[in-house]
Amino acid sequence: MNQPTSALKTSQESINGVTIVMPEGRLDFGAASEFQAVLEAALGSTPKPRGLIVDCSGLAYVSSAGLRSFLVGARSAKSAGAVFLVCSLSPSVREVFTVSGFSRLIEDFPDRTAALAKVG
Amino acid sequence: MITLAEELTLLAIEDDGAIAYTAGQVGFGMSLTAACLVELNSRGRIDADLAAVHILSREPTGDPMLDLVLSSLTGAAEQSVEQWVLQLSPQVPELVRLTLGALVSRGILALRETRFLWVMKERRYPVIEGKERKEAKLRILETLLGEDLPTPHDTVLVGLARAGGLLEGFLSTAEIHRLETRIGEVGGIDLIVRGAEAAIREDQAARARAVMLPMY
Repeated sequence: MNQPTSALKTSQESINGVTIVMPEGRLDFGAASEFQAVLEAALGSTPKPRGLIVDCSGLAYVSSAGLRSFLVGARSAKSAGAVFLVCSLSPSVREVFTVSGFSRLIEDFPDRTAALAKVG
Repeated sequence: MITLAEELTLLAIEDDGAIAYTAGQVGFGMSLTAACLVELNSRGRIDADLAAVHILSREPTGDPMLDLVLSSLTGAAEQSVEQWVLQLSPQVPELVRLTLGALVSRGILALRETRFLWVMKERRYPVIEGKERKEAKLRILETLLGEDLPTPHDTVLVGLARAGGLLEGFLSTAEIHRLETRIGEVGGIDLIVRGAEAAIREDQAARARAVMLPMY
């Protein structure tokens, strides 16, 4: 039996009014609500970010529950008037995004520079 | 609050209380199984990825339907959502019975037994409180007609309603065709729904292969 893991660390930085959240590790059921809370807190910070980029270069795994937390984060960003983008997906995470069709709803970029350029 | 499986079942109940023919189809049963997996996921009993369903906790939820599925999963070797949905097919009649029973006990449906041709027993489930069914339909319509990002719940509801052939109950073929892109976009995001869709396709392919087998 697999116990819920919370093997996800997050860090963030702000560049020109754009918040970049960097999850590192596994985004599974055990980590999903915490990750969601991090995204919500980033969107609620003052001053409000123009955009929220999730830099997934350190993200090794996304489960069904983890994928839902991305969707909730993207919805919150839209409500807050912020652009929501993801970048630097690892091959395994990209596969999840592609198979689920998530990439059709949320734009992803090869790297942070490209994502920042999109926010403008 | 009603469960996802209950919402799907309500969509299969016709205005006169009859169960739509779609509920007898394989897709509906597999959607119901997938709905249980989604609920178990949201209650922290399982998690899923592209490869397998992972058991996180064996603690019963208190919902007989979910616990029936959970008990089937525990102790077995890990396998994909698609394989589980296929393997749990024999439990579908019991899952439907439990869901209908739950809806009757909540006062959302009534149970009426009549005789067909004086002999055959026929059950109908007239809707007493139509609020939940109307809300489920409205949520699906709002999700499909809007341009907003859907909630996780709405993506699953749309995806499983499509997989279970339930959209046909309140949308015309032309409307479904017109909304096809949006249905595909929002209805397939969830990995468990994707697995259920794959299971339905596999089942249909297996049936087609069986029909096509040469008789000599």
